[in-house]
Amino acid sequence: MTEAIWIVAEREPARINPVTFQLITKAKAIAKGKKVVVVLLEAPDQQFEQAISEYGPDEILLGQNVAYAQASDEVMAGALTTLAREYQPNAVLFGATPLGRSIAPRVQAALQTGLTADCLDFFYEDDLLVQVKPSYGDNVMCEITCPDRRPQMASVRPNTFAAEKVAGAMPAITPVEVAQTTGPQGRVVDETVRVSHATGIASANKVLALGRGAATPADIANAREIASRLGASVGVSRPLTDLPDFTVEQQIGQSGTTIAPDFLLNLGVSGATQFIVGMTQAKLVVSVNRDAQAPIFAQSDYTFTGDAAAFITALKQRMN
Amino acid sequence: MKIVVCIKQVPESNNVKFDPVTHNLMRGGMSGRINPFDKNAIEAALRLRDAVGGEVALLSMGPDSTAEILRDGLAMGADSAYLLSSRAFAGADTLSTGYVLAQAVRQIGNVDLTLLGRQAVDADTGQVGPIMAVNLNQPQATYATQLTANGNQLTVVRDLDSLTQTVELPLPAVITVRAEANTPRYETPLHIQQSFEKQVTIWRDTDLDLDPEKLGQKGSPTVVRKVYAPEAKTRAQTALPSEPAAAVDQLLVIMQQHGLI
Ligand SMILES: Cc1cc2nc3c(=O)[nH]c(=O)nc-3n(C[C@H](O)[C@H](O)[C@H](O)COP(=O)(O)OP(=O)(O)OC[C@H]3O[C@@H](n4cnc5c(N)ncnc54)[C@H](O)[C@@H]3O)c2cc1C
Ligand SMILES: Nc1ncnc2c1ncn2[C@@H]1O[C@H](COP(=O)(O)O)[C@@H](O)[C@H]1O
Repeated sequence: MTEAIWIVAEREPARINPVTFQLITKAKAIAKGKKVVVVLLEAPDQQFEQAISEYGPDEILLGQNVAYAQASDEVMAGALTTLAREYQPNAVLFGATPLGRSIAPRVQAALQTGLTADCLDFFYEDDLLVQVKPSYGDNVMCEITCPDRRPQMASVRPNTFAAEKVAGAMPAITPVEVAQTTGPQGRVVDETVRVSHATGIASANKVLALGRGAATPADIANAREIASRLGASVGVSRPLTDLPDFTVEQQIGQSGTTIAPDFLLNLGVSGATQFIVGMTQAKLVVSVNRDAQAPIFAQSDYTFTGDAAAFITALKQRMN
Repeated sequence: MKIVVCIKQVPESNNVKFDPVTHNLMRGGMSGRINPFDKNAIEAALRLRDAVGGEVALLSMGPDSTAEILRDGLAMGADSAYLLSSRAFAGADTLSTGYVLAQAVRQIGNVDLTLLGRQAVDADTGQVGPIMAVNLNQPQATYATQLTANGNQLTVVRDLDSLTQTVELPLPAVITVRAEANTPRYETPLHIQQSFEKQVTIWRDTDLDLDPEKLGQKGSPTVVRKVYAPEAKTRAQTALPSEPAAAVDQLLVIMQQHGLI
């Protein structure tokens, strides 16, 4: 039997969370002969297996049931536990999203194994999955292993790895039947999508990030105009979420959103650790700050030492 | 309603340092405080008690010094506290911690609701709540922002970042609370004074019904094999011209070269 790495697909009401695709690509890169298997529990009319197939897992275990349309943590964890007992995967990976981080520990407790939360990296040493996770607010990194019990379980921070499609991928799709979870359980009575994915910074290609050094009403208005011309989203450091213009949904960083755009322009952001951890996956980083010693510069491909308002104004003029 | 709130002692600050010689984590001398999210859990419990009546007990597993954070929670208005302190618990990971706390909830008896913080700010796992729920065979609602009691049922709004979910939970249940749920009240002089008359029960491992195989390091499947400072990666830091107009021109050229415009 080939041992498998499982990725639990995170199903949102109308899409698969991109972290699922990121995990497939990463798992394939480290698999060393293990099968990469996605477990997808969905309502029969959802057919998310199509989107998942494009990223080239070896197999999709597909459980379809009307109960999965709006399922409680108990139902999701119950089904995953049953499947894990039957198929005995070597490792089980979840996205470190609130939902993944709610369901994973229920499965962990039922299977009496280890679970590492919010990993930033993982790799195999022989059969041992080494899981790298930050602690103390990302000030410390730890390597964690689960030597004696299986499966090895981890949740992985979204946007830590790039997702890559595989041309012509045709994974095996294996239907699975799972008995209805019994026992005390919650009933989901409503689900409302909060972020519009179209404008959300998490999946944006280009992001303009505003910090306290670029927070006047004029800065904000100009940045928004530039962003709309560039097809970019506007993100902010935490202090700006106190302004009526922004909420935590636009916040970049540890207690906000991890972003991975192709282009990031930081305007008047100092570069505190909690901000930096949210942007390390950005490809091209340009930063503007009047303080030549600002920590953000060390994380930047290009730097402009000077006034953010003047830079923004010049950029807006060029765009016209 | 009988409510238990699990609270954890965490370091005063996350600014941990490494010993330059041994590369060990230096945490010595740092005093402890209540995990900030656990104060939101206490506040949620007190509001439920005020709404429907009942009692709020605090529960913490940790060294004897943990008694101080239990005192803080009592001074916020909780009614009683339990401290689980034993060498047998040392080295517990989340699986073992969740097990011991669940056994303590059983021993307290007739608990309708167990509340926790969304996560502890030291290791940031958020696993103990769901693990307790499985051990107690109870349903859960994590990341709660609103809790409303109606009879033997609780309606909970969960903020799952991209999604707002409303669940109806039969009691007993386990809930973890987000900071957005409320603003924790301050300790009042009267409550501080009263806190010294409130009961803090100390239980050792032998006071609880526990499987020794599930305790401490032995009961913890995970091993922390290495701890280190994150490597400080830096980028090229090429300076753009110092005149804003010239800088912007060069930026646009760079963006064009990268196929961004
Ligand atoms: C547990 C915890 C979690 C946190 N999570 C996050 C998080 O997720 N995201 C986050 O962003 N923060 C977070 N923070 C806060 C973080 O520590 C910083 O306080 C915050 O990122 C600073 O924001 P800032 O860079 O906009 O402001 P400041 O640190 O005040 O920096 C402003 C910068 O603008 C520059 N500046 C000022 N005027 C001008 C000008 N006219 N032109 C050009 N430059 C100028 C200054 O030189 C300075 O570098 C968290 C903190 C804690 C304790
Ligand atoms: N040793 C402990 N004693 C009491 N409660 C705890 C303990 N560890 C964790 N908790 C609770 O579990 C929550 C989540 O912790 P964690 O899973 O460690 O992130 C915390 O906010 C506390 O409410």
